[in-house]
Amino acid sequence: MAPEDKNDGKNDGKNDGKNGNGSIVTLSGITKTFYRGKEPIPVLEGLDLDVPTGSFEALMGPSGSGKSTLLNIIAGLDRPTKGTVKVAGSDLTHMSDGELAKWRSQTIGFVFQSFNLIPVLTAAQNVELPLLLTGLSSAERKKRVATALRVVNLEDRMDHFPRQMSGGQEQRVAIARAIVNDPKIIVADEPTGDLDRKSADDVLHLMEQLNKEFGKTIFMVTHDPAAAERASVQRKLDKGTLV
Amino acid sequence: MVPIQYNLRSLWVRKVTTIATAAGVALVVFVFGAALMLSAGVQKAMSISGREDTAIVLRDGSEAELPSSFSADLVNIIRDRPEVKQGDGDGAVGEVVLVLTVDVTDGSGISNVMLRGVPPESYRFRPEVKIVSGRMPTPGTNEAIVGKAIVGRFVGVAEGKQFDVRNNRPLKVVGTFSAGGSSYESEVWTDVGVLRDSLGRPSVVSSARVRLNNKNDLQAFRTSLEADKRLGVDVLRETDYYEKQSEQTAGFLQGMGTMFAVLLSFAAMIFASITMNGAVANRTREIGTLRALGFSKLAILTSFLLEAIFLALVGGAVGTALVMVMGLFTFSTMNFQTFSEIVITFTATPEIVFNALFFSLIMGLIGGLAPAIRASRVSPIEAMRA
Amino acid sequence: MNLMTYARRNIFRRRGRTILTVLGVALTILIFSGMRTVVAAWEAGAEEARADRIASRHKNSIVMLLPKRYVDDVRAVPGVDSATYAVWFGSKDPKKRTEFFAGFAVDHESWFQVMDEFELAPAALEEWKRTPNGAVLGDLLAKTLEVKVGDRVTIQSDIYPGDWEFVVKGIYKPLRKTADRNSFIFRWDFLNNDPRGDVMRDQIGWVLSRIKDPTQSAAISKQIDTMFDQRDDQTLTQSERAFQLGWLGMFSSLLKAFDIVTLIILLVMALILANTIAMAVRERTHEYGVLRAIGFQPGHIVGFVLGEALLVGALGGLVGIVFTVLLINGVIGPAVEDGMGAWFPYFRAPFKVIAMAFGAATLAGVLAGAYPAWQASRRKVTDALRRID
Repeated sequence: MAPEDKNDGKNDGKNDGKNGNGSIVTLSGITKTFYRGKEPIPVLEGLDLDVPTGSFEALMGPSGSGKSTLLNIIAGLDRPTKGTVKVAGSDLTHMSDGELAKWRSQTIGFVFQSFNLIPVLTAAQNVELPLLLTGLSSAERKKRVATALRVVNLEDRMDHFPRQMSGGQEQRVAIARAIVNDPKIIVADEPTGDLDRKSADDVLHLMEQLNKEFGKTIFMVTHDPAAAERASVQRKLDKGTLV
Repeated sequence: MVPIQYNLRSLWVRKVTTIATAAGVALVVFVFGAALMLSAGVQKAMSISGREDTAIVLRDGSEAELPSSFSADLVNIIRDRPEVKQGDGDGAVGEVVLVLTVDVTDGSGISNVMLRGVPPESYRFRPEVKIVSGRMPTPGTNEAIVGKAIVGRFVGVAEGKQFDVRNNRPLKVVGTFSAGGSSYESEVWTDVGVLRDSLGRPSVVSSARVRLNNKNDLQAFRTSLEADKRLGVDVLRETDYYEKQSEQTAGFLQGMGTMFAVLLSFAAMIFASITMNGAVANRTREIGTLRALGFSKLAILTSFLLEAIFLALVGGAVGTALVMVMGLFTFSTMNFQTFSEIVITFTATPEIVFNALFFSLIMGLIGGLAPAIRASRVSPIEAMRA
Repeated sequence: MNLMTYARRNIFRRRGRTILTVLGVALTILIFSGMRTVVAAWEAGAEEARADRIASRHKNSIVMLLPKRYVDDVRAVPGVDSATYAVWFGSKDPKKRTEFFAGFAVDHESWFQVMDEFELAPAALEEWKRTPNGAVLGDLLAKTLEVKVGDRVTIQSDIYPGDWEFVVKGIYKPLRKTADRNSFIFRWDFLNNDPRGDVMRDQIGWVLSRIKDPTQSAAISKQIDTMFDQRDDQTLTQSERAFQLGWLGMFSSLLKAFDIVTLIILLVMALILANTIAMAVRERTHEYGVLRAIGFQPGHIVGFVLGEALLVGALGGLVGIVFTVLLINGVIGPAVEDGMGAWFPYFRAPFKVIAMAFGAATLAGVLAGAYPAWQASRRKVTDALRRID
C-alpha cells in the first residue's frame, strides 16, 4: 500500500473538513444530462444544495427523479455536466478519477442497499478492506476493525462469512466497513431497502447513533418513510429539482 | 423442441466467449486437417508416380531403389519376357539411383537430392516427363535436368549451374522438367552411362522398370522372375511400390499429427464445457422459465447440446477454411525410406474436409454433454427465483 | 490479510470452473511438454555428442564409400589419438522382415576403443576379436531378437543379398543415457571376404576419429579433408555434433512444423485462460464497482484480475508438470525407449522443458488476464454499480 498519504483521520490544517460556511456539502448550479445515443436525457437541472456539517439528511423522490445521480455526485462517484461541487473542503469538480478515488477512501463511507460485502472474505476482512488503502500496520488495522465491529455490536461475528449472517447483520458489517476509516460523510443508498422491519429499525438506530454520538454527517436516499423520519432534514427531489 | 433461434441468439449475445471457444476448436481442427493434408500430399505425390501396367524390379530383399543393385545384363533378359511390351527397346529400362549431398541455398545446411541415371529410352518410357525450360540433355554427356519441384533449392542444381557427383566429375544442368506432379519432380536426371563412369562402378542398375502388355500380366511376370533364384530379384507393381515408399512417411505424419490433434481436442472439449457450463449458470432463470412453459427435459438437453455442437462446428468451419489456405504451401522433408528430400503439397480432399468438420462436431458433442444434462435438470421453480 | 487474499479466494468461487480450467491448462501443458520432449530427444544425440570425436564420410554422398586405406592416412594425422571405421549394413530380422535395425561392419580391433560409451566385458571383446563371424549386439536389440551370448543369429540386409549368419559373442550396454542400444556390430573383414560383398570391397563408409584436443576439432577436420581433396573420393569431416546436426537439418521443416504446433498449443492454453478470466471478471463487475466506490484505484482492479489469472495459470502449470513427470517420464518415456530405441534411446522430459512449460502457463495467465483486467479497470464506477450479477 502506498504510504505517502497517511490517512490517520486528522486534518492537516489546510482542510478543516468544512466548506468554510459550516456546510460540508455545497452544490451550485448542478446539471446532469445523460445521453442515450445522441438523445440527451436531463436528470438534474440547475440544482443547489447546502448540507450543514453534522446533519442527518434524507432525500426522497419517485423513481427516476435523479436521487441516485445526486448521491453519486456528492460521493464523488460521478461528475456533473455543469456546476460546482464542494464536499468536505475539497472542490471535486476538477479532480481526476484517481484523485477522486483517493479522496473517497479518506472522506466517504458507503452503505448500499444490497450490502455489497465481498462473499469470499470474513466480516473482519470486509471491514479491513478500506484500511488496505492506508499505510497502517497490520496490528493497527486489526485494532480499528475491532473497534468498528464493536460499534455495530458484531464483534462476535468477526470470522463469519456473509452467507452465514442475516441481512440485518450483513448491513451492520457494511456500516462498520463504512466507518472504519473515520469518514467525514456517510453516504447511504436505500440502506433499509432489502431488510425486514426489525432489522431496518436496528440499522436506522445505529445510524442515528453515529450521527448524534459520533457527529457523523449522513446523507441518505430512501423510499422508506420510517427511515426518513429518523433524519433531521428531509428533502424531496422531483424531476431534477429539489422541492 | 426449443426454437434454434434461442440458441443462436444466446451465442451471439455472449460474443467474446463464443469467439474464444470457436477459436480454440478452430486451432485444433487446423492441426488435425494439416496433418491429414500433409499425409494426403505424400500419398498423392507417390501415387501419381506409379502405373498399374508397369512393374519395378529390385534386388531381392531391397525395399527401395537406393540400396538395390543388380547386373545390367539382367535388363536384357527381362526385356525378352513374353509379358513385356515389345518394340523399340523401351519395354524395360534399367536405371541407377543415387543420393547426393548438396548445400541448401537458404543456408540451412546440407540435404540429400535424388539423382537418377537414365538411358535415352527412359524418356519414351515416361511420356509424362516434359521439358518446361531449357532443353533435354544430350545422351552420353554429363548434362542433366532438374525436376521443377526442387528448382532453386540446392546450390548448383539449377539451369546453367553445375555440381559434382564426385571430384572432377561435374554434371551441367541444362533444363528443368515436369512430371505430372509425381515424385520424379524432386529428382535430378542424367545419363546412366556417364553416371556409372563417374562413380567408377561396374555395369549395374538400381532398378528396372518394365511395361507389361496388360496390367493383369503382373502375376505371371513376377512368378517367372522370382522363381529363378539365380536372378535374385523382387518384382512389384509400380503403384504398390510407391504406396509402400510413402507408407512410413505418410503414416508418420498422419500418426503424429492426428495424435496431437486428438490430445488437443480433449483440451478443446474441456474448453467447450467451461463455456457451456457458464452459459447454463447464467441462464438458469431462462431455462426455468422454458420448463415452466412446458418444454421437456429432453428438449432442454437437446437444445443446449445443439448449441454446443453449433459452436464447435463454427470453429471447425473456420479451422477447415484456414487449413485450405495451406494448399498454397509446399512442405519439403526427408522421406525416411528413400533418404532423399521430397516436396509435398498440402492436398485437400472432400474426405479431409468432412473428417475435419465431423471432428469438430464430436468435440462439441462431448464437451457440451455434461452442461446440457445440467441444463435439463434445472427445475421450473428457478423461473420464480429472485 | 492483504490484497492477494482477495485474488486468491476468488479462484474458488466457482470451484467447478476453476477445476476444469486448471485441467484444460494442465492438458495443454502435457501436450506441450510431450512435443518439446520429442524435439529434445531428437536433438539429444547432437547435444550429447562428443567434442573429442570427428567423423569423416564421402563428401558427395552418404551412399558412396571411401577406400579403406584412408583410415591409415587419418591415423597418421597429428592430433588424432585413434581412429576406427565402419560400413553400413542396413539389417533386418528374417523372421520379421518389416523391422529394421542398424547393422555395422566395423574394425574389430579399434571400434570399442574409439566408441568408449559402451560397456562390453573384456573377455567378450577378446572372444569377438578371435571369431571372424562373431557379432556384438546392443542390449535392447538382443532382447528384441531374443538372443544371448553364444547363440547363432541370422540377419538379412537390404543392400547385400541372402542370409548372413553370425554367432553372438557379446552384448554391450550403454554408459550414457543417450548412447545407442540397438545396433548389430560385426567384423568388416567378414563382409569384405564374402563374395556377396563385392559392392564394398576394400571400402569403408566412414572413419571415426578420437582427437587429443577437442578445441582442435575444426582444424583437424579441415586438415583431413585437405589431405584427400585431390583424390577421386573426397571426404567431409565434421565434429560428431555437426555430423548429428546434419542429420537433423534434413528434418528441419519437420522441426519447424513442430514449432508451429507448439505455438498453437500455447494459443489454445491462453484462450482457455482468457475465456475463464473474462467470464469471472464479467460476473464480478458489480463487485469491482463497489471496491472502486470505497476508494480502490483502477490499478488495484488490474492487480486483482491479473493476480487471479496468474494464480490459475500457475496452478494449471503445476498440475501439468505433475502430469508430465508422471506420464512422460514415468510411462511413455520407458515405452518409447524400449520400442523406438533406435530413434529415441533417451526419451524423458528435460528440466529445461518442464521449466519452460511452467513459465508458459504462468505467462499465458498474465497475458490472458491483461485485456479483461484493463477493460474492468476502465469501466465507469457508476456503470459497474448499476450491473447486478
